[in-house]
Parts: sequence; C-alpha cells; structure tokens
Amino acid sequence: MAVSVGDLDLRTVSEAIGRRDLTSVEATEGYLARIAQHDRVLQSYITVMTDQALARAKAADAEMERGRRRGPLHGVPIALKDLIAVAGVRMTSGSQLMADHVPSRDAFVTERLHDAGAVILGKVAMHEWAFGRPATEGPFPTGRNPWDVSRAPAGSSSGSAVAAAAGLCAGALGSDTGGSIRGPASMCGLVGHKPTYGLVSRRGVLAMSWSLDHVGPMTRGVWDSAALLQAIAGRDPEDTSTRGAVTQDYLGALESGARGLRLGVLRRFYVEWSGLDPEVASAARQAFDVLRADGASLEDVDAPSLDVSMAAWAPFLAETFEYHKEHLRTRPEGFRESLRPRLYMGALFTAADYLRAQRLRERFRREVETLFGRVDLLVFPGQAAPALRFDEFPMKGLATPAMRYTAPWNLLGLPAVVVPCGFTRAGLPVSIQIVGRAFDDATALRLARAYERATDWHTRRPDPARWSL
Amino acid sequence: MADERRTQFDAEVRAAALTLSERDADLLYEMWLEWLPQRDRLRATVPALEDEPWR
Repeated sequence: MAVSVGDLDLRTVSEAIGRRDLTSVEATEGYLARIAQHDRVLQSYITVMTDQALARAKAADAEMERGRRRGPLHGVPIALKDLIAVAGVRMTSGSQLMADHVPSRDAFVTERLHDAGAVILGKVAMHEWAFGRPATEGPFPTGRNPWDVSRAPAGSSSGSAVAAAAGLCAGALGSDTGGSIRGPASMCGLVGHKPTYGLVSRRGVLAMSWSLDHVGPMTRGVWDSAALLQAIAGRDPEDTSTRGAVTQDYLGALESGARGLRLGVLRRFYVEWSGLDPEVASAARQAFDVLRADGASLEDVDAPSLDVSMAAWAPFLAETFEYHKEHLRTRPEGFRESLRPRLYMGALFTAADYLRAQRLRERFRREVETLFGRVDLLVFPGQAAPALRFDEFPMKGLATPAMRYTAPWNLLGLPAVVVPCGFTRAGLPVSIQIVGRAFDDATALRLARAYERATDWHTRRPDPARWSL
Repeated sequence: MADERRTQFDAEVRAAALTLSERDADLLYEMWLEWLPQRDRLRATVPALEDEPWR
C-alpha cells in the first residue's frame, strides 16, 4: 500500500489494517523508516525495538490471515514512555542511573497492549525521572518539538508527544504527575488524556509520586486515545489504587456530540489569569463558542481552593524524595544538576505540610464535587503559553506558574483531556482542557470528540522539511 | 533578612538530615527561597475542622 503512515492518525492505521489495506509489518516498517530518517533531529526514541516490533507485527499479520482480529489496536505500532516496563528491554527513565536497567516483566499496560495485539515500537524519551528539565545533549536528550525544532515539547512525556506528533508511531503512552501528558500534548498539537486516578494500573511504571501518577494516551485524535484507554483501563490486583476502577465503553460514547452537556468554565482562575498568553486565551474563547454552537451550555464556575492548589501539590514531592533518597545519598552525581535540588526540596516539607496539603486536597475535592452537581464537565485553556524555545525554558525553580493549568487535577485524580484548539501566528499548537467526574472519562472524551469533529485543527501535521538543525 | 533566611534554611536542611555539596546547597537555597511564599501560603491556609486528610 502506497501510504505514508507518518501522515495518519491511529484510527486510520487501525482501519486500514482492519480492511487489510495495510499490514502491520508495512505499518511498522513505515514508522521504523521515519524514525531512521528523522529521529536524529527529533530525538524522540531512546530504544527502538526493531526486531521485537517486526516479530510482533508478523504475528499480528498471521493472526489476521487466520481471520482473527483482536480489536482496534491489532497490529498498530505504539511507543511507550521510557518508564513503562517491557520485559527484556532497557528502561532508563531518562536517567544515567538506569542506563543498564532491564526489567524482567512487562508493566500491566504493556501486557494489556500486547493482549490487544498492539506492536510496541520502542521506548521514547522523557525528562529525567519524569521531573527533570529539557535537554538536547547528554546520554538521554528529551526530544525536539516537531512544530519548531528550536522549541521544547515540554515534559515530562516529551518523547511520547514528539513521536506521536511527528508520525514516528501511531500513538503513545505517557505518564502525568503534574501535567506530563497534557503539557507536551498541548505543545505538540495532540490529544492527551490523563485518565481518572485508579483507572489505569501503575504497576511496572516507575514512580514520581505514587499519589499523583497517572498513565494515559497521547495521540493525534480523540478516537485514538479512546481506543488506547479501552485497552489499558481496568482493575489490576497488583495495583491497589485500581480496586475501585469502573470502566466504560470509551469508543461507544464518542459520537454522541456536545448537545445537552453542561459545561463549567473556570474563568477566574484560568481564563482571566494575567499570565495566560493572549493567543491561547483567544483560541480557548473561540473553542468555547464552538462548543456552545454545537449544543452545549456554558456557565462560569469557580473553585476557591484552586488558589492554593499549587501550594498543596508541592508537598507530594516528599514522595519523590523518598523514592530517590538512597540514590541521592550514594550517587548524587547520577542526577543532572537541574533535577537534584528539585528532588531535595521534597525533604524540606514537613509531615504537617503533607497533611495540610491532604486536607486542602479534600476541601478542593468537595468544592469541585459541588460544581459537578451543576455541570457535567469543566473546561478551560489547556496551557498557559505555546511551546518555549529551549533557551527560554526555566531551568530553575520548583514548579512553573504554568503548572496551574494541569497539576491541580492530579490532586483530584479526575479525568482530564487536552484537545488541540488552534495555532498561534508562529504556527504553534494550543489546546483546551476538559475535566470530568471521576471514572466518567467517557464524557470528557465525548466532548473532546465533539469539538474535534467541529474543527480541523487535528488534521494539521508538522512539516518534516523543517526538521533540520 | 537574607542572613536570617539562610540560617532558617540551613536549620531545615540539618533537620532533614540532608548532606549537600556547597553547590547543591546554594541551588537548593535559591529554590527554597523562591518557593517560600507558596509554603507560607499552605501553612497559613487553615482547613475547617471537618476537612479530614484525603483518603
């Protein structure tokens, strides 16, 4: 089939494989060729699993020959953030401390993807330990934004975003503790979905903060993310946080449209924040108009605890410090200088700070639960500003002010989806964010799909001719 | 004031039993100082009695 897979979204690849217009081997070889051609500049892959991927692809094609198609991910090449375990494949977490670490067992989500027939194409770049800063040099560069390679894709799931946006895979998984799926998805023009906490197992995924870590999809389209979520969601007896997981039919609800949905705009804290880039603000307002025209009702709402949400997020870095404490003591030089102080900061919050944060988190939850008595979903801009140049990216500081757009929703564990809503004059993608009720990821995806269907932002692709340094 | 802050920081580092290089201590101090208003805000925000910790 004379098709460049790099131009396609996951759904199109899936449907072409389903119709047998495209084999999994052809798709896999197509992505491998693009990786070989472009990834020297884009720096999105840490490990390309060429042999394993082709073997899985051949097996997927053989199953198709026998008349068995496991589902929409059958034969579809997927990339994994390099903190998600694949048995026998190096997993670095973007850290030289882990340069030789090879897990012996798949992560739960890897098992699920294999069960769904997906082809794991490789392990993609990330910010060091999911909390470092962008890097273009050193053993594990973090990736370049395919919309402008002088800019960072944000992080920490940077390689997942770059690979998915550049068509070096059909879709990717990332992880999100304060915005690490939604930030890079926004900066690279992707759909990024932080599922409800406890819906997707974290077993086999290296931690940043056990309380706030989420694993989720990063893709070109909403359908793509829903298909990935369908495969990876559900209870895992080995991750107790999934005990209460309630799964839904994520693909089945997608085309129900925006009509009848009640949307709450968090205007004061997000739309009217003085730090919001005017072009992002303008695109978000236009997106709200599209949703209204599509049949949703919008009203302004507020949750006062948003004002202390970043202050309440930071004490969870005590978990991060605890995770890295031994390495910090014995091999501090194994962490980049930009990361070390951020890890040490976790030691300077007291137990009382941590409990105060937990109490404010509960207060915030109650406020938002009250809002969900009036509205079905919350909407607001997905990011504070478009992608920054590498030399603009703040290398110091514990958290950026822009994290107010994402981190509060890790505290509550609610489903949060970013979807592209336009481009700046400089050609950089921007997004809106949709937050739903716990374990109602389907309604958040439904609204994202309604918006996507009404616009064509998701059909634009970065130009490979500009991928040079 | 800056001296008092540094003294406070050094005391917190000792209380946390951190052993830092001079360079890391300076970088951490800068970060700690920048975050201090947020931490003060956290400590000044008094929850209601019924606000139990998240479970």
